[in-house]
Amino acid sequence: MFTRVFAALIGAFRRSIQLRYVTLTVAFSAISLIAVGGFLSFSIGNGLFQTRVEQILQESKRDSIEVQNTFSSSGATDAVSLQVLVNAVVPNLEQNAASGSRRVALLRTPNQATDQFLQSPISTTLADTDIPLNLRQKVAKTDYRIIYRTEQLLVGGVQTPTVIVGSKINIPVAGQYELYLVYDISDVQATLDFMQSTLAVGGIIMILLLGIVAYFVTGRIVAPVARAAEVAEELALGSLDKRLPERGQDIVSTLARSFNRMAQSLETQIGELSKLSKMQQRFVSDVSHELRTPLTTIKLAAEMLEARSDELDEKARRSLDTLISQVARFESLLSDLLEISRYDAGAVVAELESNDLNTVVKIAVAGLEPLAETLGCELRVKHPKNPVLADLDRRRIERVLRNLISNAIEHGAGKPIQIEVGQSKSAVAVTITDYGVGMSRSQMDRVFDRFWRADPARKRTTGGTGLGLAISLEDTHVHNGWLQVTSKPNQGTTFRITLPRKKDGIFTESPLPLGETLSQRSIT
Amino acid sequence: MVHKVLVVEDEELLNRQLCDMLENAGYEAVGSLDGVNAMLAFKSFNPDLVLLDIQLPPTSGIEVCKEIRSVSGVPVIMLTAKTDDEDVVAGLEAGADDYIFKPMPSFKVLQARIEARLRPLREPEVNELVIGPLVIDVLGHEVRRDGVRVPLTPLEFNLLQTLAESPKQVFTREDLLKKVWGYHYDADTRLVNVHVQRLRSKIEDDPDNPKIVVTERGVGYKAGQF
Repeated sequence: MFTRVFAALIGAFRRSIQLRYVTLTVAFSAISLIAVGGFLSFSIGNGLFQTRVEQILQESKRDSIEVQNTFSSSGATDAVSLQVLVNAVVPNLEQNAASGSRRVALLRTPNQATDQFLQSPISTTLADTDIPLNLRQKVAKTDYRIIYRTEQLLVGGVQTPTVIVGSKINIPVAGQYELYLVYDISDVQATLDFMQSTLAVGGIIMILLLGIVAYFVTGRIVAPVARAAEVAEELALGSLDKRLPERGQDIVSTLARSFNRMAQSLETQIGELSKLSKMQQRFVSDVSHELRTPLTTIKLAAEMLEARSDELDEKARRSLDTLISQVARFESLLSDLLEISRYDAGAVVAELESNDLNTVVKIAVAGLEPLAETLGCELRVKHPKNPVLADLDRRRIERVLRNLISNAIEHGAGKPIQIEVGQSKSAVAVTITDYGVGMSRSQMDRVFDRFWRADPARKRTTGGTGLGLAISLEDTHVHNGWLQVTSKPNQGTTFRITLPRKKDGIFTESPLPLGETLSQRSIT
Repeated sequence: MVHKVLVVEDEELLNRQLCDMLENAGYEAVGSLDGVNAMLAFKSFNPDLVLLDIQLPPTSGIEVCKEIRSVSGVPVIMLTAKTDDEDVVAGLEAGADDYIFKPMPSFKVLQARIEARLRPLREPEVNELVIGPLVIDVLGHEVRRDGVRVPLTPLEFNLLQTLAESPKQVFTREDLLKKVWGYHYDADTRLVNVHVQRLRSKIEDDPDNPKIVVTERGVGYKAGQF
């Protein structure tokens, strides 16, 4: 679950430039704001604290001198009057605080022998244990100077930042005392906290604003690029007349102008090329058509002569046979050329109808039985018992099968030809295997090429036009099918045609194997 | 009886060759080199069958075919060097009964097609057939609808008669090609489709919603049940 969300986020991040830049902007501004905010709060906090401490120290210094003076100048020597003086110190100092509240302790330095022993007064909310021992020792040893320390003290159960200022007070007769003034500086902390939270809230708002700004700014920059990508995609899909709007003088409009120029030149060149190729296809088709009428005349004339061949002598009769066979060859060349030119012109649409492939195979085989018999080879057909129904153009598939089977008979060296029909849920297939001369790897690579022949030395007076397999391949492709071959010299050849069962159907595997022992070459 | 064949073909040599061979085969043949002459010859010669080239100057063979159909149901076989499907369909829709590509496999094949068009269907089993509103007078080669004669070409008549004779049977396109056109293999089933459409346009109330010649999806056609 978590990994899926993470993957989705990564995906979105990869896809969207805008998201990437917004994230970057937010991240960088957050880092810099944290740095600036930290520095600000540190220095402001420091400043606040220093000011407060200085003020406290001044005040403490003044007050401790005053306390010392009170004792020095009193001249009291009896315990009672001294105690009165001592007792007055704490309430006096508690009330005289110039800034905020302070607590006071006047503690006797321990371990001294004196004439008088006075009680040490202390503010009611203060305990003498609140004053750290080491501070007390330090104060006891230091003359005429005040010493301070910051401490966290518990006040009413709450940890409170305090500044404790200590100084030595000499009381005549009674000995050495220590005066401690304890200042609560939580107001400084509160100010600092307030400032920090203000900074934090401000920072967050600022980051959000920056994110929004970055979103709109990158949006403005990305939009024309996205539009360009969209138009480029449409161009790639063939809408050659698509263009980008050209506005302004900036880099984006320069991009648009260059893009449009490129598209224009593409359109012109493709138009030019397709015109040329149409002209060429048209030419081939026109030539084939124009040749048909004279060919018909020649053919009919030859047929008429043939009907009277017994009136001819042997040589003339042989000439007539040549004429007839070559006219036939010329005719099949012409019709194959025309068929190829129709494929090249993209003018072929398969008429797909539900057909039983078994029947189509049977018809093709029946048509070739006479040829097979002449060459003394047997056609063995193996097919599923029930009809093998598929959406196919019967005429074209029958032509493919006729072509493949007659090739097999021709190259099969008189050995039996295996024809097998197979089916799966998504596809139907036929394999035609001969055990004849076979082909080498390099021959196999060219077997579907136009006008290519396995054996160039073979007499061209027999056999096909050299376009048969090229047309078969086109016939298969117009069905979105595969036509594949595998062969080994002196072992034989297998052709396999695989067709989707349904119009626009998809298949990934042929129902029939393509001779595993033979090396393979696929044209799909 | 000697059948008369009109050959409309602009290539003079081919035209003469065809006429010669037709005459050799025992027909009476007349050649015509363009569309205008073809109509004149059609009227004066009154042929039993027309061989019609599709690429004719100045009017196309398709126009000639339409003109012939406007006055007669005489069988028309198109000769065409074009293998483009639109031309074949256009010719059939103009009323041609059959077509043959140039070059034809042999003259014998052409002759077989001609014979198939000239031969009467077969000995009728009954004199009169009825499908729905249509009465088919088999002997008189006439179809009446509510007593009014419906003009059909011999081919359309044969097609209708074949369907009507076996009212429960569904005929595949191949069956019909065999029975009506006389083909035995490898024929273009569009012949059937186009002619069924033409027939429907003449006999049905609503040709888009046929009741008399019904399509059996994926199989073929049959006579409608009433």
